[in-house]
Amino acid sequence: MGLGKRIRIVFLLGGGMGASLLGLAFLVLVAPRVVAHYSWSVERLFRQAPAQPIAFSHKTHAGDAQIPCLFCHRGAAVEEAAGIPSLQECMFCHRLIVGTTEAQQAEIRKVIEAFGKERPVQWVRVFRLPDHARFVHEAHIRAGFTCADCHGAVETMREVRQVHRSLKMGDCVGCHRQHGAPTDCATCHY
Amino acid sequence: MEITRRDLLKLAGVGLLGAIAFQGCRIPERELRVESPVALPEDLVTGRDNWYATLCQQCGAGCGILVRVMEGRAKKVEGNPDHPLNRGKTCARGQAAVQALYHPDRLATPLLRGQPVDWEAAVAELASQIRQNRGRVFLATNPLRGHVAAVAQAFVQSAGGTLMAYEPLEDTVLRAAVKRLSGQDVLPDYDIANARTVFSFGAGWLETWGSPVRWSWAYGVFRQGRPGERGMFIHADPRFSLTAANADLWLPVRPGAEGVLALAVAYVLIEQGMASRDAADRLTAGRGLAALAAYQPEVVAARVGVPPQRIREAATLFGARRPSVAMVGGSALAHTNGLFTAMAVLSLNALVDSVGRDGGVRFNPPPPLGLPSIPAAPFARWRQALEEMRAGRVGLLIVRGANLSYGLPAEAAEALPGVPFRVFIGPIADDTAQGCDLLLPEADPLEAWGTDAPEPGPGFATLTFQQPVVRPFRQGMSFGDVLLEAGRAAGLTLPWANMQEAVRDGARRLFALGRGSVRAGDEAAFFTGVLQRGGWWDTQERGQGTLRPEPAPATPPAPRFAGEEGEFPFHLIPFTPLGIYDGRGAPLPWLQGLPDGTTTVAWQTWVEIHPAQAEPLGIREGDWVEVISPRGSIRALAYLHPAIPQGVVAVPVGFGHVGMGRWAHRRGSNVFSILAPLTDTETGALAWAATRVRLRRLGQRQRVPKFEGVVLPLQLEERPIIPVVKEA
Repeated sequence: MGLGKRIRIVFLLGGGMGASLLGLAFLVLVAPRVVAHYSWSVERLFRQAPAQPIAFSHKTHAGDAQIPCLFCHRGAAVEEAAGIPSLQECMFCHRLIVGTTEAQQAEIRKVIEAFGKERPVQWVRVFRLPDHARFVHEAHIRAGFTCADCHGAVETMREVRQVHRSLKMGDCVGCHRQHGAPTDCATCHY
Repeated sequence: MEITRRDLLKLAGVGLLGAIAFQGCRIPERELRVESPVALPEDLVTGRDNWYATLCQQCGAGCGILVRVMEGRAKKVEGNPDHPLNRGKTCARGQAAVQALYHPDRLATPLLRGQPVDWEAAVAELASQIRQNRGRVFLATNPLRGHVAAVAQAFVQSAGGTLMAYEPLEDTVLRAAVKRLSGQDVLPDYDIANARTVFSFGAGWLETWGSPVRWSWAYGVFRQGRPGERGMFIHADPRFSLTAANADLWLPVRPGAEGVLALAVAYVLIEQGMASRDAADRLTAGRGLAALAAYQPEVVAARVGVPPQRIREAATLFGARRPSVAMVGGSALAHTNGLFTAMAVLSLNALVDSVGRDGGVRFNPPPPLGLPSIPAAPFARWRQALEEMRAGRVGLLIVRGANLSYGLPAEAAEALPGVPFRVFIGPIADDTAQGCDLLLPEADPLEAWGTDAPEPGPGFATLTFQQPVVRPFRQGMSFGDVLLEAGRAAGLTLPWANMQEAVRDGARRLFALGRGSVRAGDEAAFFTGVLQRGGWWDTQERGQGTLRPEPAPATPPAPRFAGEEGEFPFHLIPFTPLGIYDGRGAPLPWLQGLPDGTTTVAWQTWVEIHPAQAEPLGIREGDWVEVISPRGSIRALAYLHPAIPQGVVAVPVGFGHVGMGRWAHRRGSNVFSILAPLTDTETGALAWAATRVRLRRLGQRQRVPKFEGVVLPLQLEERPIIPVVKEA
């Protein structure tokens, strides 16, 4: 056995071990993501509501108090973004409403404090479209859709999760086809 | 199946790439952040932009700009296409206006002897100082125009004292020459777009001099905007500047000999019979060509440093390809014989009969509404003023936009401590703010009200309106408002309560004129109209005037230089870089990082020297050298420049500040600190190109931070990485 051949075997052995480790890593780390990426039904099982800086409950506001979506997200009917309400808007009501339970009071105090110190609140986005796609709320509301058609029954959720629709390209295109809306590339990608 | 090592590596690579790629599918946390603003006006549509017309104040040109504002934040500056001065164009400095707005070193609150105080206390302190120092108030500013000039004038008149404007590279000589030849105290406009030949002397009109955006636009038309006609551009300059690089014919004239060159051109024009009779008679005092014998190209060639046939060639082009226009500025006028040079060049326009014509020199009418214009006072006058301060004859000094400690370092260091109470007004504490008793944060130009009558203007009456496009980002107050508020508290008689009222009043008076670009049914609609369009102009109200040459001196006045030629072999030509200009742009990293037009150097003071002269001194590119003048020395990086004439070295101004924010502080060297205090003999303007120097190699080396050559234009190692600064 020549020296060259021996070296080649060592390389092959080492390489083989490396390859199997990589394969294992692929199965454990990457494969679930790949599956989740392409299958909405699998993904929604994994999807969790992100932790928010203030435990704002849509159930309390939109469900129990029956405040219409557009009262706070007033951009939805007139512009591209539905918009996150300003703290000043929260204070319209929370000047007077301080909460019933202790937990509620603690959360409302955070809002009042942020407003007093003029500190914007940084929320974590729940509904996000893929990169390079644009979505105009105004056009969809004008066409007669309701917020719940895409966002689900938010008024029942203590913490908002994205469970109703995948909001991926297939989802958008499917709905556009179904309702005879344009499916040109430039409809969303502009 | 046999797996070779090559296949194995391929597979491993694919696996690894896959792992990385899918890891990348995760959305970065920062992209998932959405913000609840503290307050949001109900009519403000998020995600939709508003464009507001206002005035650019990054230099003295006074261009009209549009600022893109989203959610109350200024995002981008564009030129205002309606504005007659810049016609929708901007320059790098205008683009950087947003960086000035968000500069992290902007003063956050007033500082009284280093302690933060609120505005109420600061204004009260300033008012009490004004009351105590009636008659001994000194207001030092940058050159002022528009309503803020009227406010400053009224303030000083009522408080008793002096108002003087300061600019390191003043336009005193050009103003004096125009006044001598035309009787008007205005800066002329040059109709480059319609000219067939442009002959410029020292004026970097494509870079920083005069109204560069306006003239760069005109240059485009001059060169390629007219079918079948390409303008001919001749430039005389001892430095190979970006303007010189654009010229068809560059004449590397000896420093201080520009006026002689101009009269040599005049000689050829008269000799060839191309000169206007009347102007030629005035220039020669009716004695004919013999009066100009001392300026014959063959006689002066050695003194000018340009071969006689070149002078004749340039003169023939200038005389034959009409309309032609001659302009002068920059280092050509920064000599002890500056006024002679300015008058000689301006006279060329009369010789080719281009004054008041299309494609020639045009005069601007005086500013609308009788608004004052306060140009920079000459250097000699400033030395006098500083001497008065040193002697304690000034009780209260208010400095705004006049960086005395930078432009006059030695004089200011001696004089300023002689003033008992010094106030600095500005967005960022500059060199002169060091040691001031009261520092007042000035509002950014994008947060303030004002007007401006540009000079040089577009040839007709123009008043640009400045409006706040965003709410104040810091607790700043505009300069005019500080004067009005403190003045009122001190019991002065002032014309308006605040700058907004001043601007409204201006609009009201323009409305009453019943002419111009904005027509409306009532005052309110008129005011909205001028704000929307960015200003008011009346193309019918044009300037008038002629240039009448004075008899040329029989012997050319020789320039004087500081330093003996034997000991100091080089002429020092300071120049203003595109971005940081005379130092005003130094706080902004975009402008510091803007590569110089010819050398591509950024972020550092360099010295341009001819390779043949660097070699005997042992200087290579990247050597640190000491530039030594009779007055002092500075350090600079050597840049070997094959196009700079031998016997000349060039150094950029604008670097070497103390203060002015984190990116300007102690970066590079201040070339003003080694300039000898020579002046133009007649106007007293600083002869800033009249200092001679020698170079000494220091022994250290560094790679020159430049974009030229093989460096990838991604990130220069020598250039600092500018971090995003977040508010706490």
